[in-house]
Amino acid sequence: MKDLLRPGRMWRTGLPLKKRYDVVIIGGGVQGLATAYYLAKNHGITDVAVLEKSYIGSGGSGRNTAIVRSNYRTPEGASFYQASLDLYDDLSAELDFNIMLTKRGVLSLAHSERALATATERASVNQKLGIDSRVIGLDEVRRRVPALNTSDDVTWPVMGALLHPGGAILRHDAVVWGYGRGADRRGVEIHPFTEVTGLDTSGDRVTKIRTSRGDIEAGTVLSATAGWSSGICKMVGLRLPMKTYVLQAFVTEPIRPLLVETVVSTQMRLYVHQTTRGELVAGAEAEPYPTYQGRSTLTFIESISRYLVELFPAIRDVGILRTWSGLCDVTPDYSPIIDRTPLSNFIVSAGWGTYGFKAAPIVGVTVAKMIATDRVDPLIEPFGLQRFTTDRLVSEAASAAMSH
Amino acid sequence: MRLPARDGEAIDRTQTRTFTFDGKQVEAYAGDTIGSALYADGRRIFTRSFKYHRPRGLSCAAGNCAGCLMEVDGEPSVKVCTRPVEGGEVVRSQTISGSLERDPMRVVDHVGGPVTPVGFYYRLGIRPKVAWPHIERMLRRMTGLGRVGEGPAKERRSDVENRQIDVLVIGAGRSGQEAAARHAAEGKGVILVDERAEYASLAIEGVEVIAPGTALGVYEGKLVPVHADGLLYRVRAKKIVVATGAIDQPLLFDGNDLPGVMTPSAVHRLVGLWSIRPGVRAVVLAADEAADQAAELLREAGTLVVETIDLRAARQPRVKASAKRGVLAAVEIDGRKIACDLLVASAGRQPAYSLLAQSGAGVTYDAEKGIFAPDQLVEGIEAVGSVTGDGAAVLATPEGAGRRAFVCPCEDVTAKDLVRAVGEGFEDIEIAKRYTTVTMGPCQGRLCHLHSVRALARATGVGEEALGTTTARPPWQPTPLGDVGGRRLNPGKRTALHDVHKRAGASYVWTGVWRRPDHYGDAAAEIRAVHEGVGLMDVSTLGKLYVSGPDAEAFLDGVFPNRISTLKIDRVRYGIFNTESGRIIDDGTIIRVGENDYLVTTSSGGVDQVYEAFLLWIAERELRVDIVNVSGALSAVSLSGPRAREVLARVTDVDVTGEAFKFLDVRQGPVAGMPALLMRIGFLGELGYEIHFPSASAEHVWDALMAAGAEFGIVPLGVEALKALRLEKGHIIVGIDTDSETTMLECGMGPMIAWDKGEFIGNEALGRINERGADRALVGFVADALPNEGTAILVGGEVGGRVTSARRSAVSGQVIGLAYVPADLGEEGAAFELDLGEGRRGAAKVHIGAFYDPDGERMRG
Repeated sequence: MKDLLRPGRMWRTGLPLKKRYDVVIIGGGVQGLATAYYLAKNHGITDVAVLEKSYIGSGGSGRNTAIVRSNYRTPEGASFYQASLDLYDDLSAELDFNIMLTKRGVLSLAHSERALATATERASVNQKLGIDSRVIGLDEVRRRVPALNTSDDVTWPVMGALLHPGGAILRHDAVVWGYGRGADRRGVEIHPFTEVTGLDTSGDRVTKIRTSRGDIEAGTVLSATAGWSSGICKMVGLRLPMKTYVLQAFVTEPIRPLLVETVVSTQMRLYVHQTTRGELVAGAEAEPYPTYQGRSTLTFIESISRYLVELFPAIRDVGILRTWSGLCDVTPDYSPIIDRTPLSNFIVSAGWGTYGFKAAPIVGVTVAKMIATDRVDPLIEPFGLQRFTTDRLVSEAASAAMSH
Repeated sequence: MRLPARDGEAIDRTQTRTFTFDGKQVEAYAGDTIGSALYADGRRIFTRSFKYHRPRGLSCAAGNCAGCLMEVDGEPSVKVCTRPVEGGEVVRSQTISGSLERDPMRVVDHVGGPVTPVGFYYRLGIRPKVAWPHIERMLRRMTGLGRVGEGPAKERRSDVENRQIDVLVIGAGRSGQEAAARHAAEGKGVILVDERAEYASLAIEGVEVIAPGTALGVYEGKLVPVHADGLLYRVRAKKIVVATGAIDQPLLFDGNDLPGVMTPSAVHRLVGLWSIRPGVRAVVLAADEAADQAAELLREAGTLVVETIDLRAARQPRVKASAKRGVLAAVEIDGRKIACDLLVASAGRQPAYSLLAQSGAGVTYDAEKGIFAPDQLVEGIEAVGSVTGDGAAVLATPEGAGRRAFVCPCEDVTAKDLVRAVGEGFEDIEIAKRYTTVTMGPCQGRLCHLHSVRALARATGVGEEALGTTTARPPWQPTPLGDVGGRRLNPGKRTALHDVHKRAGASYVWTGVWRRPDHYGDAAAEIRAVHEGVGLMDVSTLGKLYVSGPDAEAFLDGVFPNRISTLKIDRVRYGIFNTESGRIIDDGTIIRVGENDYLVTTSSGGVDQVYEAFLLWIAERELRVDIVNVSGALSAVSLSGPRAREVLARVTDVDVTGEAFKFLDVRQGPVAGMPALLMRIGFLGELGYEIHFPSASAEHVWDALMAAGAEFGIVPLGVEALKALRLEKGHIIVGIDTDSETTMLECGMGPMIAWDKGEFIGNEALGRINERGADRALVGFVADALPNEGTAILVGGEVGGRVTSARRSAVSGQVIGLAYVPADLGEEGAAFELDLGEGRRGAAKVHIGAFYDPDGERMRG
């Protein structure tokens, strides 16, 4: 209660930049902050600076549609994301900050035989890992989501769905702020509005980090910059197999409760949920051309509106309040890259496409472990860089809600 | 109270209309808005606020705030102050639990304060963990502004219209009208839009007026969507003139959100447009000329203006507004209490620069005027009038405005909340916005953005210019999803034979973007016909690319993994399209029709991708190759079954005897009198011909073949029959049996690869995989139970792959299928299990090669 009535500061502000840190994390998003938190908490490493070029959580962390789930298609992917969900489950208590995680369930609609087949496959893989995930028929879809148009009078009639009861929604900013506060309390320095402008290397090491507030040195450098990863990696001459796309989302005016579950439709290229406040938040697939220009487009809002109204006729008159966009760095197999690099003190967490937020806790734990102990957790072993040359891709195109 | 007729009023007193509000009939004139009619009727409380359920009413009467949100004919959160009355509307109040007058949720406001400060919900509901889902459910029931899915929903159609024009002027105030007239006089085509309905009758020579028409945003390429009644205009203008004016900003004081507190614009509109006396006893706190004029208008309208305070002359006094039964009853000015039912107050006017910012203009803080104004406009976009900052200014924010001084009335955020946020460490405007939710309500910052930046500036000591603004994003006004989405138009592709199938009783299915017959009532009979007699299938959906040129052979040899250079004229070969990483993206055939001429077919869904890839490869290698996409120009059918030859002989004089027309031969000649390309291939496993002909003659050729086949019992074949028949032969369908990772080496197609021919797409990757061996194999299997496609297969109890296709064989009655298994299981007879769900298992055995006619004699005969 005391915390409620007199919250106190979340984190220190206006910290000067030291000349050197044991660990410098580039990127003050949810993954960077989570890693900092676990470095301090699990490994007692606190001489850490998180450098963020804008305000913390200003990138994908503050722009995603706040859905966390683990119903991915490969055993490697599903077990990885489930481990993250397990951490999310206790995160409010862990951080003593309510991230408002609510297991509303995720329904991935199937509009064709092929989609049902993919859903069956995902369910099989998920169930073997103990993840509650199953294919349900049209009747059950109707019962669960009365607002959904399950008639034949839609372009692609719903045939069934993959139900994932453990899928949840949460307050994405709260996760950023909770991890930020937790890291700061343990001595980590958070430096917003500190942009990394260059990285000097010598031999196989990063020797200097040039920032908008001066040059610093670090024992280890982690790049957790999602959509800006290619740019950061370019500074050390590292080229990752990724393309960066713009992803858009929008929010409506708040309405009375209409939708409990999160509904995903790969056929219609959209996903939607209703927040506790009553707004509908929806996103679609990325624009198919690589770009960093984050301007909203009309084609996005037109097509997603059309499909949403088709799926939920009752929301025809609900007003779109705001549209926004963010960046997605996408790998050929729609799975992330978490690995050391040819530079001995430079680690990357990148290629997070549309699936970075749900993985934040497990990335934080495993990358902190990698930095602190030099050990690669089995959960992230499949996501190393070498998979692109040994042809051991972890193919998650179908589950990542990106069909191209 | 309605005043006697006035010059320039927007209402037509000869036309009366009625609507109902919460069941009660309300009278209105044409030209009234629902809000003005309700106000004239005596209504003062229009809705309640989001968090504290405080009473709200007409505050701006201009469509900027959230004070008058009501449900109109089932449409939630309508700003009724700007919604014209048509007559017959069913209007209902929203955001209330009891009535507008007595909302029990109001307790949150009284009790709330100290216990519900900004961000309080982040500190509650953490322990015990089981509590949060219940709290969340409770919160969910308490929030939301409007309802959907209940009450009358009016059937409305929305459409989209594309417009191109020389000049688009946004805003029909004085400056906008002047700019529109000026450009029209220069002979330019001009469209003038304004979100207010009262400009509908505006007439300017040479100018097309769209009102109400809300410009939602400025997108790339100067694309402006304008939301009008039932229509979304997509306007592309060579030049855009933004004349969106400046918006009255609320004055910050205790109780500044009460019904009865109004901005000068509200007075101007109530009196000027609708001839309504806004109140009986008024106090005016004047920050600008607009307020001075409002005071004048009030006197004209018969309102007793008991006190006027010029905020420009002296420091802002301590103001506290108080209510009786939810409506303004008195205002205290420096401790002096004045009874009144109307308080006209604003802090000044802030330019409505959002569209300019969206277009890429810069925005800077003018410290002298106290406003954010646009600068550095981009090419092709101009700004006129008060949106530039001319004639706009906002007074300095007073210190300590009071516990109930709302900076953001939409979200119930006070100045104190912002100060508190800064104290907690949320010092940047964007992060403070996300923490306090200021500017995130229906007004999206119109009334609160400036004040919130000022509050942050004061609390952090950082100047407004350095703090900056939050990103301006579309839409400018909340816009119904159905109006943005427009008419439901989902183009599906049909073949030239669509009507034929319809007449034959086809049951349709989507295959990608194609509408195709799944079957014609009896798929089993269709399958039987192919094995015993003859069947005819429309395969017009196939991609067809005509490839020609001196480098055509070299090009195709570089595309396909198998050898094309040895393909003779009038022969056809099966081919696989790979990615650079050796993954299968499509399959098809290559037909050589001349020395340098080929027809390449692709799968129904793959042609666009392959066509683009071809063009890219040709350009990269600078080859002399031309590609013509004839997918639509040519239709095609597959005539299959032991009697196919006899049927074909009746409609063509091409020699179709087995000796003359061998398996994989190609011939050209008339079929039913139409020029055609014929080839013998065997996707369906029986004697078969694929016939290509011009789409214009499709129905004629189809009818001729059906007539010729009648005595053999010919039937049309659908997709289901196709899937079953090809499965008997173990033929893969790309996209069903392959995924984004599948390589030819997994599908047993290794022998097809001509490793020695030099470079071809994917040769390096395939070479590497070939060396180390593929991890999995796509194999045929027989089983004792029919699994769903996608079902996992188990090896030693662990997931080892999945089923991609499965059917019960029409020939043997056995369950046959294709599945991915670990590579070491890819041998005849290897055993594995099917995971049938709920703990049930099926037994399966690998079967290499075709299930039916393994030597292909029936195909090659």
